[in-house]
Amino acid sequence: MYNKEFKTIFSYAKDKTDEIEILLSAGNSFSVKINEQNIESFNYSDSKGIGVRVIKEGKIGYSYTEKFDEETFKHIVDEAIENAKYTEDDDVVIMENYPENTDSPNVYSKELDKVDVVDKIQLAKDLEKYAKESDKRVFNVPYAVYGDGKSYSRVANSKGLDREDIQNYAYAYIGALSAEKDDKRMGMDYHITRNFREFDPIKMAEESVKKSTNLLNAKPAESGKYAVVFNNEMMATMLATFSGIFNAKSVQEGRSLLKGKIGERIANEKVTIVDDGLHPNGFSTSAFDSEGYPTERTILIENGVLKSYLHNTITARKDGVKSTGNGSRGYKGTLNISTSNFIIEAGEHKEADLFAKHDKIIEIVSLQGMHSGANAISGDFSLGAQGFLWENGKREYSLKPFTVSGNFLQMLSGVEAIADNFKFDMSSNGASSILINELNISG
Amino acid sequence: MLNRNIIEKVIDKALSNGADFAELFVENTFNSTIAFNDSKTKQNIVGNDYGAGVRVFYGHTAIYAYTNDLSEEALLNAADAVSKAAKGGNIIASIDLTNKEIENIHPIEIPNNTISKKDKIDFIKKVNEASRGYSDQISQVDIRFTEKNQHVMIANSEGLQVEDDRNYSRINVSSIASNGTEKQVGGEGPGRFAGYEFFKSVDPVELGKETARVAVTMLNADYAPSGKFPVVIDNGFGGVIFHEACGHSLETTSVAKGASVFAGKMGKKIAFEGLTAIDDGTMPNEWGSENIDDEGMATKKTVLIENGILKSYMVDKMGSIKTGYARTGSGRRQSYRFAPASRMRNTYIANGNDKFDEMIASIDEGLYAAKMGGGSVSPGTGDFNFAVGEGYMIRDGKIAEPVRGATLIGNGADALLKISMISDNMKMAQGMCGSVSGSVPVNVGQPAIKINEIIVGGRK
Repeated sequence: MYNKEFKTIFSYAKDKTDEIEILLSAGNSFSVKINEQNIESFNYSDSKGIGVRVIKEGKIGYSYTEKFDEETFKHIVDEAIENAKYTEDDDVVIMENYPENTDSPNVYSKELDKVDVVDKIQLAKDLEKYAKESDKRVFNVPYAVYGDGKSYSRVANSKGLDREDIQNYAYAYIGALSAEKDDKRMGMDYHITRNFREFDPIKMAEESVKKSTNLLNAKPAESGKYAVVFNNEMMATMLATFSGIFNAKSVQEGRSLLKGKIGERIANEKVTIVDDGLHPNGFSTSAFDSEGYPTERTILIENGVLKSYLHNTITARKDGVKSTGNGSRGYKGTLNISTSNFIIEAGEHKEADLFAKHDKIIEIVSLQGMHSGANAISGDFSLGAQGFLWENGKREYSLKPFTVSGNFLQMLSGVEAIADNFKFDMSSNGASSILINELNISG
Repeated sequence: MLNRNIIEKVIDKALSNGADFAELFVENTFNSTIAFNDSKTKQNIVGNDYGAGVRVFYGHTAIYAYTNDLSEEALLNAADAVSKAAKGGNIIASIDLTNKEIENIHPIEIPNNTISKKDKIDFIKKVNEASRGYSDQISQVDIRFTEKNQHVMIANSEGLQVEDDRNYSRINVSSIASNGTEKQVGGEGPGRFAGYEFFKSVDPVELGKETARVAVTMLNADYAPSGKFPVVIDNGFGGVIFHEACGHSLETTSVAKGASVFAGKMGKKIAFEGLTAIDDGTMPNEWGSENIDDEGMATKKTVLIENGILKSYMVDKMGSIKTGYARTGSGRRQSYRFAPASRMRNTYIANGNDKFDEMIASIDEGLYAAKMGGGSVSPGTGDFNFAVGEGYMIRDGKIAEPVRGATLIGNGADALLKISMISDNMKMAQGMCGSVSGSVPVNVGQPAIKINEIIVGGRK
């Protein structure tokens, strides 16, 4: 798709630039939110944008537009060339026609595109209805949402590379507030899929309500050091928060804890962390990255030992390694590195076994303040949390909001057991429940 | 931006299935970013955001669609789609738009696009040199220089048609101090609703030095303790506590659903009696200021809390329909990609009568938060948390050793009542606030305040 646009830009840029890469994203999205069985909001979008990255005399310049006409396309090429003049970066950038992944998983469902809007609205209504019905302590359901989207992307460069990809997804989430006396707690549940029939509104509603009501009647946490279990969802959140330490650009710029640590043991031997751009159940699965480079399954930490960083072709060339296919940019942005499906591999324990390993354990089921209380550079974190106190393998009571603090690398070294309940979050980070030997709790 | 005839057709089409209200928002925005680190200009990007959103109301239902295609056909398609998403009883006759001239209360002296890239890069380099020159422990300085010129057109079925230009300029600096094994960051991000005159008002050397000073001080600090303490939160970005803990819960987006702890509290005492809090879009050229909101209403100064009594929520159009309170010019959105929602502008706690030194002197053991980091709040419960960027212990009524890694957690409604002293040094700081209608520029602000007891989550 968009052949005319690509052709216009390539032919205008041909004699003006040394090399050029064009990235186009287009897509549509839909979401509906229900309140009191009425549609509170109903949104659609149909949008597109195109961005260019040019190399002129060894320097890179960028520009983009959402306005699609010939004059604007010429203008963005000129702007990118002008921007390149002021770039002082001495990174060597070479565009190539990279090899193609031929057997990447299918990430598009024709069936999903055909779901009737009436069924989508009903799903969101059911989420709210079942949540309210399932427990009389539920006083408000602020989130009962269904959404879906379809996205098309195409990247091509002046060396002949030309890749395109189409994918779609559907998600639903529900947040229920319950109250008892003065205590109010929120519980959330979500599901993301390409198969509409997978949505089970009763199960999701009950799950969110249970998460909320379980937290009621909380007692204050006694400050001190505890063994801590992060449940699978919160472990995925922790992993995502600190994913930047694997970014080779951060490493090369001296802002990652992992600089110079390849081959060293940095985590407990139970820990294996991978980034898998070809994961069949992932929602960041694609055959190629934003440079058109083939994606792969990259082992970052294997049995506690740091094996690799995440690379694009620029950082890979600097380190004398191959790109891991994690080049990332939107048409509005500049080339960086990001995770795809980012995973800490599951262990063999049943989740319940984790709680039997210490007399006292704090279970964390909700975290707040990831963007402010976690320092991705130092690895230090001090986060608002909610959860439960376990004693002798039994969940005793819920805790009033408390803080959990420590350091991410120390936490990975302190992993004592990993459960088998692997789950992806809504942003393609996946983990199982994990027992950490000791963290600081303040209540 | 668009021919009036087309605008009228689009609104008529959006109304055609009996909607109560229809609105068209059109945007043409130029963005420019210079990213600098490793003492070099690393990335330069400019671009053009361009699109339109059509919104209709059926009772309490809001329907929104957006597109980048501003052809008559595409806009009519979007209008057709929103009109058919629901069915109403009102048939509004075809509308007649009146162009409304707005008063420009935030004039721009030097538009950004008239300044050469080289001048901007020279400015950045002065900041970088000042930071690196402060200490050998400074290992990296990240600087982003961002400019945004947003032109908007808003027309609606009440006959309104209005256009406005918004010019934003900001520089974000973060200096990283390292001692080989550990790293700490000091950051500042001054910005204004203004052109290049903003950069002339900032001293690049002071800016660089200040970020370096915080990073180095925190690098050489011990961990903060854990437990309940009295806390003094200083002015400027300290206002983030009010923004997160209370401001979001005063937006009709959360009030209308009863999901806010302040729902049903109008006219009641919700805070320490010395506390007055204001949300003001009229402050000349401030980062969170506007001429009109994204629903086309002239911006206002809104007193939220006066002497501890709740006086007003922040009300957008749908919020007004749902709650019955008058609009406060608070409908804001990041871009055409978002339907507007009630949002904050320049939100601050007004000066009180206490003196900073007296606050510190009143505490035997506690925490002085000289600079705050970011934070977040759960609107349903009011539980908040935020990070302390530069902290010190208070011992025997005096500011003592620096401490790092502290997080403050608490509950908004509870914390408001636990404020016991408010000083007279009100100052604002700039931030980007993310919520349902995207990320919008806001100021937070306050004089130094004392909170009698708050949970400090440290590492000791």
